[in-house]
Amino acid sequence: MAPATVSDSVPIETAHEDMIHDAQLDYYGKRLATCSSDRTVKVFDVVEGEAQKTTSGHTLKGHTGPVWQVAWAHPKFGHILASCSYDGKVLIWKEQQGQGWTKVGEHTLHTASVNSVSWAPHELGAMLACASSDGKISVLTFKDDGSWNADIFNGHAIGCNAVSWAPAVIPGSLITPQSQSQPTVPSQGSAPNQSNSVKRFASAGCDNLVKIWGYREDSQSWVEEETLEGHTDWVRDVAWAPNIGLPRSYIATASQDKTVLIWTKENATAPWTKAALDPSSALASPVAGATMATAVANAPAGKFPDVVWRVSWSLAGNLLAVSCGDGKVTLWKENLKGTWECVSDMNS
Amino acid sequence: MGAQNINLLPPLVESGQFEQLVQSGQTISATTSPYDNSLAVFLSPTTVSGSNSNSDREEPVYFASYDVVPSSERRLFIADTQVIFSMFHGMLESAKSREPSWIQTPEALELMRKFSVDYVNFIKECWIHASQPMPRTDGPLQFSADHYRSLYSCFSLFVVLYLPEPGYEDAPVGEDLMEWLNIHFIEPSTEEGDHLSSLDRPWEDEEFWPYLKRVTLRGLTKASLFFFNTLLQHPSEDLQDLVRTIIPIVESQPRLQNFSAERDFAFASRKWKDKVKAIRIEMDRVPEESRFDDFENWWDSLSDIVGILEGRNPVIQRVCEELGADWKEVCSAWGIFVDSRLRRQDLVDVAAEVLEIMPADPTNLEDMIHSALFSGKPEQALRYASQLDAWLSAHFADVMEPLGLLETDENSESELSKRDEYVLSYAEYLHSDPTQWKITIAYMYSCGDIGRERGDEILVRVPLRLHPSEAPSTPEEAIAQAVKEVSEVCFNYQREAVRRTVCRIAAQTCVRQKDYGLAVSYCISAEDWVSLGRVIDSILDEYVHNGAAEFAKQASKIAPSVQELQSRTVSEAIFVHRLIFAVRYSQIHKYKLEQDFVSAASDIVTLLREEIAPKSWWPVLLCDSVELLQYGSTLLFASSDAAELLSKLEEISIRASQGSGDDYLSVLTRTIKGGGEKEALERLKVVRLALARYFARCTIGSDRHALST
Repeated sequence: MAPATVSDSVPIETAHEDMIHDAQLDYYGKRLATCSSDRTVKVFDVVEGEAQKTTSGHTLKGHTGPVWQVAWAHPKFGHILASCSYDGKVLIWKEQQGQGWTKVGEHTLHTASVNSVSWAPHELGAMLACASSDGKISVLTFKDDGSWNADIFNGHAIGCNAVSWAPAVIPGSLITPQSQSQPTVPSQGSAPNQSNSVKRFASAGCDNLVKIWGYREDSQSWVEEETLEGHTDWVRDVAWAPNIGLPRSYIATASQDKTVLIWTKENATAPWTKAALDPSSALASPVAGATMATAVANAPAGKFPDVVWRVSWSLAGNLLAVSCGDGKVTLWKENLKGTWECVSDMNS
Repeated sequence: MGAQNINLLPPLVESGQFEQLVQSGQTISATTSPYDNSLAVFLSPTTVSGSNSNSDREEPVYFASYDVVPSSERRLFIADTQVIFSMFHGMLESAKSREPSWIQTPEALELMRKFSVDYVNFIKECWIHASQPMPRTDGPLQFSADHYRSLYSCFSLFVVLYLPEPGYEDAPVGEDLMEWLNIHFIEPSTEEGDHLSSLDRPWEDEEFWPYLKRVTLRGLTKASLFFFNTLLQHPSEDLQDLVRTIIPIVESQPRLQNFSAERDFAFASRKWKDKVKAIRIEMDRVPEESRFDDFENWWDSLSDIVGILEGRNPVIQRVCEELGADWKEVCSAWGIFVDSRLRRQDLVDVAAEVLEIMPADPTNLEDMIHSALFSGKPEQALRYASQLDAWLSAHFADVMEPLGLLETDENSESELSKRDEYVLSYAEYLHSDPTQWKITIAYMYSCGDIGRERGDEILVRVPLRLHPSEAPSTPEEAIAQAVKEVSEVCFNYQREAVRRTVCRIAAQTCVRQKDYGLAVSYCISAEDWVSLGRVIDSILDEYVHNGAAEFAKQASKIAPSVQELQSRTVSEAIFVHRLIFAVRYSQIHKYKLEQDFVSAASDIVTLLREEIAPKSWWPVLLCDSVELLQYGSTLLFASSDAAELLSKLEEISIRASQGSGDDYLSVLTRTIKGGGEKEALERLKVVRLALARYFARCTIGSDRHALST
């Protein structure tokens, strides 16, 4: 493996007036949405060739506080963005021909900062889950005319930090028969494999817990299905891995307790098992920065040098990017023995 | 496995300032890109207070790829070898329709050998191309000529050892190995030979004997005979005599290719060995004091050469060590001199013995791959190959599996076979270059369910407008072209669900661009009736927002789809119904523009009578009828038709008074700026008045009626 790779690229100048809290690429990876403490959301085209320079971006104004997260909807619903903010609001933005980006919706049911927004897999229709510091989780289900129904329920005491949807198709469901207890989406006549799809997501909270929520068609409500205990401090982020054809489900969680846990569920009925990423394995790197080496050496096994803020899966779900408070992004892969290895270390 | 370190350039933080960054409550965050193997990286605060102390600084977002994106000659290499890969898989695919044992038949092995030789030849060409000092129009080489040389030596060794010509699996391997060694590791150099041959007394040169030993070891008979002949001029008569005996023996060493039966070759080899033994006896007769010339002990050197010819293993090994040759040379010479009938299956033991004493160079991946192949450890070869180049391990594994060299069982953790594991990891590397999506998915789709899932994720994200600005065509044509391309690929790999998803997205994009014709045909193609309904609503909205003329123009584009749908048996009749309404309603406006009022009037009545028009559009149709009711010279409606209009008007009024006005009046309301239900009902009063007048005209001048009732 090549030792130090230098990634030489012309950075996109966002012209945000304050720190960026989140950046998300759209479905095609061709547009970048960023949000900042400057209370705006910006959208840029990421142009190929020209060393990924950009055309000037669009600025979306409407929030009255720092904007924490942005999320792109599936393109079959159009060019739609959701953003959430310290102001307690979730705004829905749509780009329309000739009109540019306009605010088409405002969700104001939360009473405190909304920390995370996440669109459901497109097979489930246009649905958005939101996590708030008021301890509640809300799920918006959009109708064709752009209006929505909102389900809102208590999620985590003290506050909810993040939400992430499960893949719409249960792993392994194409090969193994579906058990009747699975919450399923009634056939809507268009998407294939409807009977196999499931409305489910995970949430991360200030109660150190990760919870799994499933929708029950019979009672038309969200039910807490499982609680994952393992972190000893606030859970900062949760990311459910895309379905990569394995019978198994994966969830990655990042916490204030300086750990990243990978939760694995072998099949629909098996319990979740957890394993912590071990950053000390990254020491094998011959060129790991001195700061990394010292910091890791001082940290106990299975712990990162600092709070872990974000976890993000690659498209195929085989690579996990971990953003740690120590100024590094590390990339992790599961090896053939089922152990997680650090494969890359990205320095600022 | 050591982690790879990636540094961003230009640096976000100056060297040495890193601690300061962390202390100021900032860190880097990253988000993965679905487009390629890259991450968008940016600075973010770790303190939730959120305010930035130095807000004058730029807040950039970087893109960093964790794979080195293929460029220049590498792209060509990837694209061209994929052609061989596809043909190989075509063969494997057709094998499925035959007996399972077919893959082991000489016919199948011959084909596999052919494709593997194709890989070897192609790598060789790439190596030659990369070796040439020439201006590179597509940028500097991404991989050195030496890298391709390594691939060349590894792949050709693989063919020599594991894919012999069918029927020759049990033939001696020595000659093939030595040929491989002589092609890939040329020794001694031509320059040395040229230098020595230019000398009158070459044996006086210190390189003479090492050179002669090496050419003997390598079986380079022409060169060895040339220099043995020069020794006929050597001052020592003993040496001259010996050389005179040696020359015909070297000249007559049996070569496998000159024999039609191995038995004959073996017999000749034995006889030849006896002759070599005779030289040894003759050599031993030379007295000790005559074994030197003015420079060195010629006898010792000649003894080494005879030792090689005799096939004395310790001599070959020692000579190789002295000459700086490695284990490969010992193994190859073994197959020529020690055991000229060495079989492929016995090579493993020989290699083990040699490598024990002369190990492979652990710092040289190429050498490690060679040693694993010699040792009959294909899986180990794959591991080293994956470190040298993901291309090599993927294509090795791809051929190894049908040859039965790999376990086909899936790993219990990854659920992947060895082959799929290496092929997928190559495909992932290819994904770093999104423009190569067709090649990427070709490899992914060869890897079972997991590969298919990953391939689907890439296929659904193939950009539908690749270069809108560069393309000479219109955006609509660009989309159509892209969808067509993806659809073809979906068809080839039987990915119907992907095709439908792509059509749905394309339909949505077309609606945004008001290309309703294409949008409708994509919805039909995806059999997505819900979306079809939505597109039709968008078209009808054109009427509400932009008026009848624009609506008629847009709706005419979807007319061909109606015929297409009617020719199919579609269960979702409701959406077809709505589509028919939109088309026929636009037709009415077209008639009006063409002043064909008779047809316009008749169609309005048909749409209402046959309830093709949705209830919410009844008021709009009724309003449209006013102009026709008031048409001066002729009565356009039969009285029964006018009665139909009146009955619909009645229904609307009654239902509105019962509180269900919204069902009927929503569309008309939207056409009235700032209007509500009240204004809509006002508008309908005009219809009622027009109808009343019309009935009056009917009774007065029924003779002037245009239509027979």
